[in-house]
Amino acid sequence: MKNYKYAWRNLWRNKRRTAITAASVFFAVYFALVMRSMQLGTYDYMFKSIVESYSGYMQIQNDQFWEDKIVDNAMEFSREIESTLLSDRNVVETIPRFESFALASSGSRTKGVMVLGIEPGKEKHLSDVEAKLVKYQLSDSAIEKLLEEDIPESVKENLELFRGDLYSGDGRIQLDLGIRDKDADRIMQFIRKHASMENGYISLGEPGALVGGRLAKYLGLSRGDSIVLIGQGYHGITAAAIYEIKGIVNIGTPDIDSRIIYLPVDICQELYSAPGMLTSLVLHLESNDDKSIDETLERIGAGLADPYRLLGWKEMNETIVSQMDADNKGGMIMIGILYLVIAFGVFGTVLMMTAERRREFGVLISIGMQKSKMATVMIYEMIFMGLLGIAAGVAAALPTIIYGYYHPIKFSSDMAKMFEDYGFEPVMAFKWIDNYFLWQSVVVAIIVLVAALYPVRNIFSLKEVNALKA
Amino acid sequence: MKNYLLTISLLAVIGFIPVQSQDAREIVKMANDKFNGEASSVGTMSMTIVRPTWERTVTFKYWTKENDFSLTLITGPAREKGQTFLKRGTEMWNWNPTVNRLIKLPPSMMSQGWMGSDYTNDDIMRESSIVDDYIHEIVGEEILGERLCYKIMMTAKEESSVIWGSQIRWIDKQDHLFLKAELYDEDGYLVRTETGSEVKLMDGRLIPTRLELIPADEEGYKTIVVFETLEFNLPIDDGFFSQQNMKKVR
Amino acid sequence: MITKTAWKNIWRNKVRSLVVIASVSVGIFAGAFSVAMMEGAMYQRLDDALNDEISHVQITAQGFRDNNDLACLMDNTGNMIDQVRLLEEVEAVSGRIMVIGMANTATKSTGVQIIGVDAENEKALSGLHSKIKEGTGGYLDPSGVENSALIGVDLAKSLNIIRYMITGEVIDSLALLGVPEAVTGKLRPYMDIRFKNEKAFKKELKPVFSQKEEIRYGHMIKEVSQSYREGARFTLTFIDREGFQTGGRFRIAGLYDIPNNMFESSQVFVLRDDLKRLTGLNEGENHMLMIRLKDVDDTREASQKIAAMFPDLETMNWREIQPDLAMLEQMAKIMYGMFMLIILAALAFGIVNTMLMVVLERTKELGMLTAIGMNKKKVFRLIMSESVFLSLFGGVIGMIISKIIISLTATRGINFASYQEGFEAMGYSAHIYPHIGNDFFVVVTLMIIITGILSAVYPALKALKLDPADALRTE
Repeated sequence: MKNYKYAWRNLWRNKRRTAITAASVFFAVYFALVMRSMQLGTYDYMFKSIVESYSGYMQIQNDQFWEDKIVDNAMEFSREIESTLLSDRNVVETIPRFESFALASSGSRTKGVMVLGIEPGKEKHLSDVEAKLVKYQLSDSAIEKLLEEDIPESVKENLELFRGDLYSGDGRIQLDLGIRDKDADRIMQFIRKHASMENGYISLGEPGALVGGRLAKYLGLSRGDSIVLIGQGYHGITAAAIYEIKGIVNIGTPDIDSRIIYLPVDICQELYSAPGMLTSLVLHLESNDDKSIDETLERIGAGLADPYRLLGWKEMNETIVSQMDADNKGGMIMIGILYLVIAFGVFGTVLMMTAERRREFGVLISIGMQKSKMATVMIYEMIFMGLLGIAAGVAAALPTIIYGYYHPIKFSSDMAKMFEDYGFEPVMAFKWIDNYFLWQSVVVAIIVLVAALYPVRNIFSLKEVNALKA
Repeated sequence: MKNYLLTISLLAVIGFIPVQSQDAREIVKMANDKFNGEASSVGTMSMTIVRPTWERTVTFKYWTKENDFSLTLITGPAREKGQTFLKRGTEMWNWNPTVNRLIKLPPSMMSQGWMGSDYTNDDIMRESSIVDDYIHEIVGEEILGERLCYKIMMTAKEESSVIWGSQIRWIDKQDHLFLKAELYDEDGYLVRTETGSEVKLMDGRLIPTRLELIPADEEGYKTIVVFETLEFNLPIDDGFFSQQNMKKVR
Repeated sequence: MITKTAWKNIWRNKVRSLVVIASVSVGIFAGAFSVAMMEGAMYQRLDDALNDEISHVQITAQGFRDNNDLACLMDNTGNMIDQVRLLEEVEAVSGRIMVIGMANTATKSTGVQIIGVDAENEKALSGLHSKIKEGTGGYLDPSGVENSALIGVDLAKSLNIIRYMITGEVIDSLALLGVPEAVTGKLRPYMDIRFKNEKAFKKELKPVFSQKEEIRYGHMIKEVSQSYREGARFTLTFIDREGFQTGGRFRIAGLYDIPNNMFESSQVFVLRDDLKRLTGLNEGENHMLMIRLKDVDDTREASQKIAAMFPDLETMNWREIQPDLAMLEQMAKIMYGMFMLIILAALAFGIVNTMLMVVLERTKELGMLTAIGMNKKKVFRLIMSESVFLSLFGGVIGMIISKIIISLTATRGINFASYQEGFEAMGYSAHIYPHIGNDFFVVVTLMIIITGILSAVYPALKALKLDPADALRTE
């Protein structure tokens, strides 16, 4: 009978034992895959979110701009350039930006601020300023009214801690006030009723500004007030203008929130005497995976001439890239150690199995079966069990990962606040099926094969007489 | 006999050693007094910023008193017209009629050069003296545009707070005019060259009316200042240099 | 009674039990040690940030953080410092004056934050004094010249204070670092030429090398060719209390080098007295108190205590100041938890197998016990106890061994010198000090017990299903 058939039959002879050995492999593969998926997914999500909201995946700039970010290093922008870029199959949108510095004055106070000229409609693909418009303000009157409503005591206490704070989203206010999911709808109704803040957005062609919450507070300004901006524009021409504050935003990072102003990009160009110029053009892509990005960089880079320069996200976010790398390597080391231990687990099971079957081996040899044949059969058995385990592991991991991908695990409290501050949802994301599936399986297969060596060696060194006595 | 010889040698010694630096410092002082020494001055100037791909000219009227106060009124181009800058000691204020706002300028505002020129915050605000903050030495003589000049090497003193490590200045022997300066940083790299030309008589004084500031690092960069009119020692009240006056002055 | 029996039962088949115990202890040891290593590496990274940049707790006046106003001061800080020092968790306290200004040289200018520190107190608090780049000088010296400053290497670069020059020593060092002669040879024609700044250096040398060479050695060549004249000076300009522009010429005491580039290129340290004098602040006035704790684990309690001591001021701990660091810590803890879980799951199988064999081998005995009236619950508990004992015993041994080895290596650390570049590229130091909290062992013990219990379920159930009659008939 063919060896592998014999091996297969052996497995089914003792279902329990097969099940246990295969099960140890199964769990190893399952956990490793799930954990790796979570690792890769989360870091991917965190870092990519930061990149996506800040620099985008690629930008076109004047080739001097990156090293010296002054207005004089802005680039010319025309519809031709835009249409050339849009004609690339991976480019969905081009998002213009004009960034510079100015002094903001409210009459009583002056502060150096960052001025960001944006195209209000397109920005949702990038920093999504519109979503950061303040929705709720826990003003004194708002708190007074809320205290009269039917809401839990704990939430009422928290109101005091966050007096005066501004919120741009439901997520964060719920976290801060400790509103539980089941109460959320009900309580949010009250908050909307009493603490809503009227707000507005900016649009192209209309002079107007969005101001960071902390900056507005420092300058003592609110929506509808005027803000003066004075700076130096293109070729040193003085930049000076007054704008009505159309809206207040809440940027998670206090550093930026205390010194940011958004203007419509055409108004910004006017302010800095730089009509038709931009400091950067962000390309919004269809596919964001590494491969597509690299290919797109190559294609567009080839067609680009001086004085333009194409920058990829890795170049623009060196610190994040090195951090991602470090975390990734750290994660790999963890998985590596994991495998070491799993190997022990598998090995232990195999050890047990060999000990159990000593007698069986002894019998077979004494009735004439060749050791080499037995060894071969044993190896086949191990391979089958390994494959069974891996297959089962992958099969079980798939639905878990797929489910996790569409329904990421939500974080609570401190961790969540951190995520919200950075402007993205507090979830632990899973990475979709990728190369790592293959790699993990290969490693486990190797472990199984190595473990197989023990019973094989055992077989060869078996003395039938002793075995029979077992 | 012996006494005579002794006296001569003593005189020679006393007279010889300090001769160089005493003269050098004196020369620089004289030139400086000529340039800055008037109690007050009123003038109109134009400043042209030259770059490889563009050029821009700003015209202004200015009033100074005793090196402590200065008021500058921009008279052109149209876009910039009406702005005033007031310097009082170490404070710098700016009035902008477009936005009707008077603000105090922090040092960061001038990191790009005043009005986009090659004049830095240090040039405008730093109160260093080319006489007191340097050690001077005559190192030669050169002819610059038909005028014979002393070439004076100036090394910044340890305790001083000047940004330059050293300077070489060419000072006209006859009229003590600053005709050229080379400014070096602490490590000896040339950072900027300044030249003065078109010497004219202004209100009875000889002044090089065309100054060029040439940064060493960049190709084709220059700032040219031309004095159009200049009057000295007109009586100006301290109160002229005030925030209220910034808005009124014409 | 059951417990005693369970214990004795384990030792009936010594070999098998020892195998299980051994595998559990090895597994636990490997797990604990790896976690200790990872936690050590992580805390190292954390520690650097805490040591050099923010410390554990910071106190400021309300509103200072938002706008860095010079006038937003705390006064009477002398008293405050004394009070805080009394807390048992506190190791060191120091006050700082902070002002935003411009740093410039003849060619470049850039915005910076100027921090006036108490040199002596700071040494107990911050690790910067040990991060000074060799050959660039030393830390601030209160008894030295007036107006000295400590700046970062990156700031020196952006101010064009660091020049570039290829000397004989540079070429020798490069050779020692493994750069081949073919590459260093190309540098020889440029020896002893001083380049103004990185831009000029790169411009001249870039065309000399192939793209591959540049990628591999470019960075190294740049780093080694940096030339810095000790005691170089630069100008600091800022606004004083009255609103006047002030500042002065500062001599660089030394250049500090830390992994955080943003910090390094914007934070300038000067002596408190110098900054006080220039800004017109008074004695006892400070913008921030920095507090270092003896143990980072005390952060939450200590900062709450301190906040209660000064209700009108704003007290923040490092987790609030740099939430991304806290995030690092949290994620790590989650990872460790999962890690140990997986290890135990892997080990569980060995235990299940063993217990199954135990049950099957002792079918006759168990059958007898049931026949004579031992109730099912007791049988269940017996099997369960054996399982738990096996696991616990192995686990305890594993934990003891790991605790010993971790304590041994904790102080001296493990040096991965040969992999230094790889580690540092990842942002970790190559010298790791394993660290593990006692709560880890508590949690692991619990996890082991649960594993033992869960592993026993299947075999125990099997034991219960044994029909006494059948069992007795078995031979």
